[in-house]
Amino acid sequence: MSSAATYFRSPPALIPAKRLHLPEGVALPPGDYSTTPGGTLFGTTPGGTRIIYDRKFLMECRNSPVAKTPPCDLPDIPGVTCPNVDEVRNESSLVHADVEKLGLGEEAQFDMDI
Amino acid sequence: MEAEERKSGAGSKAAAGERPRRMNNKFDALKDDDSGDHEQNEENNTQKDGEKEKNDRDKSQSSIKRKAVVPGPAEHPLQYNYTFWYSRRTPGRPTSSQSYEQNIKQIGTFASVEQFWRFYSHMIRPGDLTGHSDFHLFKEGIKPMWEDDANKNGGKWIIRLRKGLASRCWENLILAMLGEQFMVGEEICGAVVSVRFQEDIISIWNKTASDQATTARIRDTLRRVLNLPPNTIMEYKTHTDSIKAWEEFHGLVNSGGR
Repeated sequence: MSSAATYFRSPPALIPAKRLHLPEGVALPPGDYSTTPGGTLFGTTPGGTRIIYDRKFLMECRNSPVAKTPPCDLPDIPGVTCPNVDEVRNESSLVHADVEKLGLGEEAQFDMDI
Repeated sequence: MEAEERKSGAGSKAAAGERPRRMNNKFDALKDDDSGDHEQNEENNTQKDGEKEKNDRDKSQSSIKRKAVVPGPAEHPLQYNYTFWYSRRTPGRPTSSQSYEQNIKQIGTFASVEQFWRFYSHMIRPGDLTGHSDFHLFKEGIKPMWEDDANKNGGKWIIRLRKGLASRCWENLILAMLGEQFMVGEEICGAVVSVRFQEDIISIWNKTASDQATTARIRDTLRRVLNLPPNTIMEYKTHTDSIKAWEEFHGLVNSGGR
């Protein structure tokens, strides 16, 4: 009991906090939403920065023009590699990834219209 | 259970207990004999001088002068370069000591997200593969073989899938690997999808089989990114055990290799 009483009587201490003063109407430093202003404990990966992408972002990159061109050195392995599988692939991926794709890529919308 | 697919380059290699150490040299020697694949291998065994880590094993190929695979302008770089491989067991022939290495082909190496899609979008989905075949996606410089320096102390998580799931699981697995979702430092070596008669198998290989914190984290990430049912059986197997099992199954004794 006495220790509890001591606890309640101990002087309150402020939780350390960092206050950042930004100009009116500016929420974050422009153009860098991946960084906490003033830095954060988790701002760096131990052992160095790593390039991390989530699935959604990687799927979006699939629609970039360069991603649709087969590599010039793609070996021709019958039944395995094919420069002309684009159409088939996009359709089948739409079937299995429709939840993720709908509303994301213009291409998904385009395919749906057809 | 079906005998596991050969992941060893030198079948006649080590007597039980002796760790095969000369894999790189053997690989190169075999490559020289294998004129069919030679050009292609040269094409893809590119050297990198850039910011990414450079492996010692690359030095054995340093005589091959090729342009490094780098991200193109405005492309999204990956943490590591990766190489796609394809292998298929030759129909009607038993898996001989060298056939694994002869049957595995490099498809190509990429350094960016966009370059990955260029390859991936022009390859058949694993679920549509026929016969006894595998896709491998490994960090550039690591061969999808048990004896590679990066793999020799390693192991893999194995997930057996009923037919119909392989394409989607494989895609989720490799996207997680390329996107560095596993958060185990340098531990990941690569991933494999194996199409078999009655089931398909996906696996992810790491460098240090004895590192339980790492293997547990890989397992948990797998569960998350593959969205596996809670009762899915996941098995961890060290490559040392794989080599032993393969040798026992094939009754191999040391006959030639060092």
